[in-house]
Amino acid sequence: MKTLILAVAIRIFIPIFVFFSLYILIRGHNHPGGGFIGGLICAIGFIFHTMTHGPKETSNTFFTVRYYRLTPERGQGFLLHKLIILYKNLFRKEEVRTGSEWHKRQFRIDPIFIIASGLFLATTSGVFSLLANQPYMTGVWADYYLPIIGKPGTPILFDLGVYLLVLGVVLKITFIMAEE
Amino acid sequence: MQHLILVLPLLIPLYGAILCLFFWRKLGVQRVIGVATQLSLCAASAYLLSETDQAGILTTHIGNWEAPFGITLVADLFSSLMVVASAVVGIAVFVFSLRGLSNARLLYGYYPLLLLLQMGVNGVCLTGDLFNLYVWFEVLLICCFVLIALGGSKPQLEGSIKYVTINFLASSFLLIGIGMVYGILGSLNMAELAVLIRAAEDNHGLITLASVFFLIGLGIKSAIFPLFFWLPASYHTPPIAISAFIAGLITKVGLYTLIRLFTLLFVLNQDIVLPLLLVASGLTMVVGVLGAAAQVDFRKILSFHIVSQIGYMLMGLAIFTPLAIAGSIYFIIHNILVKTCLFLISGVVYRTNGSFTLKNLGGVYLFQPLLAAMFVIAAFSLAGIPPLSGFWGKFMLAKAGLEVGQFGLVATSLSVSILTIFSMTKIWNEVFWKKRPRTDVTADAAMAEINVADKPVIRLLHLPVLFLVLAILFIGLYAEPLVSLAFRASEQLLNSEIYINAVLLK
Repeated sequence: MKTLILAVAIRIFIPIFVFFSLYILIRGHNHPGGGFIGGLICAIGFIFHTMTHGPKETSNTFFTVRYYRLTPERGQGFLLHKLIILYKNLFRKEEVRTGSEWHKRQFRIDPIFIIASGLFLATTSGVFSLLANQPYMTGVWADYYLPIIGKPGTPILFDLGVYLLVLGVVLKITFIMAEE
Repeated sequence: MQHLILVLPLLIPLYGAILCLFFWRKLGVQRVIGVATQLSLCAASAYLLSETDQAGILTTHIGNWEAPFGITLVADLFSSLMVVASAVVGIAVFVFSLRGLSNARLLYGYYPLLLLLQMGVNGVCLTGDLFNLYVWFEVLLICCFVLIALGGSKPQLEGSIKYVTINFLASSFLLIGIGMVYGILGSLNMAELAVLIRAAEDNHGLITLASVFFLIGLGIKSAIFPLFFWLPASYHTPPIAISAFIAGLITKVGLYTLIRLFTLLFVLNQDIVLPLLLVASGLTMVVGVLGAAAQVDFRKILSFHIVSQIGYMLMGLAIFTPLAIAGSIYFIIHNILVKTCLFLISGVVYRTNGSFTLKNLGGVYLFQPLLAAMFVIAAFSLAGIPPLSGFWGKFMLAKAGLEVGQFGLVATSLSVSILTIFSMTKIWNEVFWKKRPRTDVTADAAMAEINVADKPVIRLLHLPVLFLVLAILFIGLYAEPLVSLAFRASEQLLNSEIYINAVLLK
């Protein structure tokens, strides 16, 4: 479905959908909303993008991490090497982009990884209370307030997990259906 | 502490499956994760059993919401025995699947699915909430659907369509039953329901009707007499590593639920339900074993025997004395091990001889005497020859039947045992003893080559079978611990106050 209007409009709408879904996710504890509906709303933008540009383009644009890799020096520790790569990629973009010893790499985030991280977050959110000898999934809350989010606690982790899980499942289904 | 050990049998496989998802398509890593998960699951469930053995019934309320409102996890002896049995079988099947499955199937998520299936089984056994029970059943069945269809060969798809359709029907019966119970009594917590049902002054008829919905739904899932036709039609289609686990465990989970619900909840109007169960159990035994007699495929014979054995487990529930229920519990544990073992043996035979059809097999005794010996032990145990595990189960059931005067049923069960020996002898004669059919010499030569090339693989495939045979020998020759556990489990089941108090007054 190649319509110019949709193709242009979706570029503006994707950030709106994502931010609105995050808003819905965070407001969900005491009001209508939450992880499930948030994940669905987040997926809407990507579904439209897939409809106009195809699944390959969507995963290239949004679900591919591009970074620059440095061949490790002799005698350099594994962790230090990774840390240097991370630091330079995040904060010294120009240096990395022009430096001749840096090689371009990319890494595709398959929806299955989003699903797995969502499941992991949701499952782990319940484990914290086990450490305090409370039943599984008892809410553990902090004593302070954060701006926007409010009082942080394990339920937001659970909701975030559900959000990622739903997003991942919908994306996986969309990509498979769109390829056929 | 009990909060932790009750959720561990659910969390360990879940975490294992999640880690496997992170390493999607990296089979080596998934295997390492799988081994670690299975071992720790086994340890956790053994610890759970020892704790329930010492401390009685353990409960935890998820999210710290107290009993009638929140979801409760309950572990009594029966459920922890089931969890332990499923963990033991899980290890065996997992080791078998290291080399017993094609990579194409493994790549599409066999390991995470197997782990999620184990989580579903443990969930059904540990939950104390009726609706939660239904949800765990769905978890378990969805994993089964995918596992049966995994690989997508034509007979598999045919089998899985039958399985999916009939099980959806069963699930809807279950759901209708749950809806009726909730509509009549207004609760879903099993302990509270037990109190409410015993105190109910009217609506007895409606509650019995709801129990019949449960009976039909769970009857389909556990393949009881008029509702078993889907089982022999679908269980033999997937590869052995999958069908061994499903065949060994899933129908027994249905039966576990049946025993749990009909001892804890539906104790009204037993004069209607129990005779029904008696007739169903007798017919299940007979029809299953007669069906097996007509088959010429190794796996199909075993599939029909699943049905036949289900009749024995149901017999204990139908007789409804402490001895009979203990017999059922012992028989369920014994059957989980034996049935998985026999399926795995058929898998090894297939791997080394390239066929499941009895006509094309032969002479295995000559080439693999160890396998033949293990088959004899498992088959005799299934039939109930005295020192082996099947005997103790059948002995307890028969004794309980004679005590309450159910001579017809006991006679049926004993003659079905003889027919079981007949079918096992058929397999023995055709697969192990008769000469290898001389249809084509090239296939024979090829087989000899496989035997040389795959020696370590074949040895690895023998390992889980040997493990299960040792387990069968253990519970057969040293039956005392398991029998006494089964007795105490059946006492817990029949004295529902212990369960109710543990859940509600905590």
